[in-house]
Amino acid sequence: MIKRIKIVVIGFGSIGRALAKVIALKRKTINNKYGILIDVVGVVDSKGMALKADGFDEYELLKLCEVPRSGVNLFKPYAYQGVDLDVLYNSTQPDVHIELTPSEYSSGEPGISNIIYAINRGVHVVTANKAPLVLKYREIMSSALSKGVEIRFRATVLGGTPFIDTLMSLRSHDIERIEGILNATSNFILTEMHEKLVDFNEALRMAQALGVAEANPTLDVDGVDAAAKMVIISNILEKPLKIEEIYRESISRVTLRDIIDAVRQGYIIKSITFFDVRGGKASIKIVKIPKSDLFAQINGIMNGVRIRSDATEIVFIGRGGGGIETAHSILDDVISIALHYS
Amino acid sequence: MDSRRLCVIKIGGSLLRDSKSYLESAQKIREVFIENGYKTIVVVSAVKGITDKLIQVAKGSQEALRYVSEKYLEIAKELNSVKIIRRVDEELKRLEIVASAISGGGIDLSLYDLLLSFGERISKILMVGALEAVGVSALELHANELIVTNETFSDASIDYISTSANLEKLYSSIIDNPAIPVIEGFIGSTIDGRITTLGRGGSDYTATTIASLLNIDAVYLVTDVDGIMTTDPDIVENARLVRVMSYRESLEAALHGAKKINPKAFEPLEKFYSSKLIIGSWSRFGTEIVREISRDLWGPKVIMNRESQGVSYIAIVGEGTSSIPFIRRVLEIIDRNGIDIVGIQSYVYRPSLLVYVTPSYELKILRLLHKELFEGV
Ligand SMILES: NC(=O)c1ccc[n+]([C@@H]2O[C@H](COP(=O)([O-])OP(=O)(O)OC[C@H]3O[C@@H](n4cnc5c(N)ncnc54)[C@H](OP(=O)(O)O)[C@@H]3O)[C@@H](O)[C@H]2O)c1
Repeated sequence: MIKRIKIVVIGFGSIGRALAKVIALKRKTINNKYGILIDVVGVVDSKGMALKADGFDEYELLKLCEVPRSGVNLFKPYAYQGVDLDVLYNSTQPDVHIELTPSEYSSGEPGISNIIYAINRGVHVVTANKAPLVLKYREIMSSALSKGVEIRFRATVLGGTPFIDTLMSLRSHDIERIEGILNATSNFILTEMHEKLVDFNEALRMAQALGVAEANPTLDVDGVDAAAKMVIISNILEKPLKIEEIYRESISRVTLRDIIDAVRQGYIIKSITFFDVRGGKASIKIVKIPKSDLFAQINGIMNGVRIRSDATEIVFIGRGGGGIETAHSILDDVISIALHYS
Repeated sequence: MDSRRLCVIKIGGSLLRDSKSYLESAQKIREVFIENGYKTIVVVSAVKGITDKLIQVAKGSQEALRYVSEKYLEIAKELNSVKIIRRVDEELKRLEIVASAISGGGIDLSLYDLLLSFGERISKILMVGALEAVGVSALELHANELIVTNETFSDASIDYISTSANLEKLYSSIIDNPAIPVIEGFIGSTIDGRITTLGRGGSDYTATTIASLLNIDAVYLVTDVDGIMTTDPDIVENARLVRVMSYRESLEAALHGAKKINPKAFEPLEKFYSSKLIIGSWSRFGTEIVREISRDLWGPKVIMNRESQGVSYIAIVGEGTSSIPFIRRVLEIIDRNGIDIVGIQSYVYRPSLLVYVTPSYELKILRLLHKELFEGV
């Protein structure tokens, strides 16, 4: 028996489009394998929506990816001017809400309101937007619990890997320490500085040209993104941290001189996020590590995390972000929800 | 969809100059192919001259950057679609960011290829706009997501296995839809997602790869001439179209610098599926290139004058041109006319005969041989 899962995608930037593309290419195979047919019934950006209650077909999903930024409202005949979640929900009756709006850490909006809205309508949520979890983890989880809906967020930390799921599944472990390279952009910039011997600004320009860094790179470069990820981890471990409590060092203060000196001494420079779980303290530091260190091998846009528990040590290495990888994590979350509730 | 009704059409840069030429190509695709029941995959090159401008941009030319932006934006505006204008504008903004990163320091090869890729990528967006403007639904494909290559930036080779997996996945999800897929030629990406380019004439290579991996019978290479000519018509006014050639012959011609086809384009055709190449213009498709030709079609196909390392030579290409009777015939023609040559070269396993000449006799011998070998009845 085929189970149809209707999803709405809120936020149609790089991740939203990658998701549409992956669904277009894989929905038939997913249906064949799991008996789950994923229908995208609504897509939303900051200016408008595209709605189709019986689901966009493969061609339409690919065609949606051709609209310019803020251009979902050009997608005739399904276009709707402006964003109105009531209209979206009433006309499409979604099963899963995918939250892909920008991570905004002062107010958490529009992510928080959108997720609360979904929960109140009894709709499951998959989010790649970290801010709502960083600012309102407990509130979101408890209201989801009371409404009987799931919140999944594999895409938020090491989004190209099942890190979050693994961490959640280590139920018998006493986790003592988590440390790692959590931000792909700053790791890429540092790697460029080492490999090409260029200064921070030039490496940043390169990252921006390749689309690895955004026009405004501060969230990544100053460690806010890494701190946000650690806050999510701390909540999973039930040792919640507040983002402002995390000490941060920005990679923008690393000079080419620092790199050259470190390399001469047999070290390399990395930005590493530490979380001492027992002590309840986390920080993002620029550190010199020996060339032989595991983290010294994790370069460019790769991320890596080491989980140390009372029983064992586990290492995760993989893509932290990237459209296609992150989209797969989101899709895996959707499939898990569909399997769980069928 | 029956793959025999499917074909690949590559639109060469020589045809793409302004909005009118995009619309004309779109209209022809509609009339010649779609209305005759064919489904096509369209491969596009950059607008004529744009790749050279982008090379100048890489060297820091602001003027070239302005030229590229103005050219593409002008075409977008004339196509008169808000969507296309905004898309092209977004791409041009990205191009500016890449250009500014490049002019910052020593040229990084991956940035260089990324920069060049904008020529074809924007052209693709425009072609989709043009097709939609003439009432044909079209869909953008993205070479950087489909065509996987090695890491030889600026002259990359395609990884057929990975590319084939990507193509098949896509094919199965869009084949039921009548929309015409449009992809940019010349572009690929490494397995870790860095953009590469396939070298000069790389769009042909994109087209033949797609056709051979999807078992498509025909690849149309559309340019501004009616087909491959027996020789340069500017030198010999009686030059005529070559109707049929084998892969081997046209590869040999390409190796001697006949600029029509990138030699790499033949590799997938030899390895996977031998699609037929059909070369010409919208008014006439004059030349077919097929895997093998029958014996009665053997003989010289193309003659051209070339220069290599300061030495001038005439290359005569065609199956049978390295046979003793043919060589004797050529030498007799030359001898009969009392001309001296510097030497000849030919290998029995290659379909060509090279006649080394002193530069002052070069054109005379070329005209003479063309007359005797190609203009007889
Ligand atoms: N990029 C990655 O690799 C990655 C990995 C993991 C997680 N994430 C997270 O995933 C989320 C999406 O990332 P992205 O890279 O796709 O960002 P993006 O390209 O900036 O896209 C954000 C989208 O959200 C839309 N939006 C903004 N405000 C909105 C509102 N009020 N209502 C509806 N839509 C709104 C934007 O609309 P307009 O198009 O109109 O501006 C845009 O479509 C972010 O929270 C990011 O932190 C990203």
